[in-house]
Amino acid sequence: MCAALCSPAEREAFKKDEEAFMERFSLNEQEKHLIRSRDFKGLIEAGMNIYAMLKIGSASGNSLYRMGAQMRGETYEEFLKTRNISGAV
Amino acid sequence: MGRIVGGIGLSHVPSVGPVVDRKRENDPAWKPLFDAYVPVREWLAKLKPDVAIVVYNDHVAEFTFDKYPTFALGAADSYAIADEGFGTRPLPAVAGDAEFSTHLCEELINQEFDLTVCQQMGVEHGFLVPMNLCFPHTSSGWPVKSVPLQVNVVQHPLPTARRCYRLGQALRNAISTYPQDLKVVVLGTGGMSHQLQGKRFGFMNEKFDQWFLDELEKNPENLASLSHHKIMEEAGAEAVELIMWLTMRGALSPKARRVHRHYYAPMTTGMGLITFED
Repeated sequence: MCAALCSPAEREAFKKDEEAFMERFSLNEQEKHLIRSRDFKGLIEAGMNIYAMLKIGSASGNSLYRMGAQMRGETYEEFLKTRNISGAV
Repeated sequence: MGRIVGGIGLSHVPSVGPVVDRKRENDPAWKPLFDAYVPVREWLAKLKPDVAIVVYNDHVAEFTFDKYPTFALGAADSYAIADEGFGTRPLPAVAGDAEFSTHLCEELINQEFDLTVCQQMGVEHGFLVPMNLCFPHTSSGWPVKSVPLQVNVVQHPLPTARRCYRLGQALRNAISTYPQDLKVVVLGTGGMSHQLQGKRFGFMNEKFDQWFLDELEKNPENLASLSHHKIMEEAGAEAVELIMWLTMRGALSPKARRVHRHYYAPMTTGMGLITFED
């Protein structure tokens, strides 16, 4: 599913009807739930590859650093405060 | 004769791409990185390489998990810019050198590196960011031809650090038997310390990175003994990309002279830079 998101038309299809998109790739209910709820921590724990997950991030408006903050259990703003030069985004 | 004139170890952080595309190189947060490449570009302009062999990893854009090569070499005269999920960057296609690539494939396979040979492949940030930093393009193209050499550092089991080092040594032999006069630079890309997944997201270790740069210069054999586990534990899961720097180092003479060295770690990755003259 994530490999398909390397195409503008498929990203649009995901944005337009996420449920149908997930169904097309035969995701199980647990996987669908994790994606629906934007549970990036849960997706990694379920075995998802980070680079594949970045494509879901791109299609759903979640940057790497936003996903990272969630995985650390922090807000985006809290995460930025932990960085050496937080302007380099 | 083919001849290696230089080697570069450098990070391929994806956020550099949009900085180049939006011409933000002078932003205070990015200037220290780009300033470090000013002398490197001057050095490269003097070396005048014909071809850059870029040792890099794809990030699930061109190679996906249904089948994943351990080592894949480009053997085309042109490489498309791949869409890795964020849209296709506005860059000219990358010029290749199919004849030289074909020679490398034959020579590497004769040395028992059984590569996947790619007559068509797209390239993404793992390849493009190092090119952006070292060889700025114009609207008409890039100043050197390239050979992409993709290494699996994503889907376990990964090749060992020593296997990557030996690949570099085999690459040196292969380049030296090319019948035409050709000046080659080898780029080993990725790392340095970073982890992008789980609770440890954002982990960096400058001490490890500086040690790695020291050892790469003076004692690369020692780095070839590093296990994936050790690299991941000390420098973060994605730091395992550093094994690709060993391919570059293996391609250079053990006595290669270090020319530049820089380190900048603003956000989530230790961005290292080291150059060698063969």
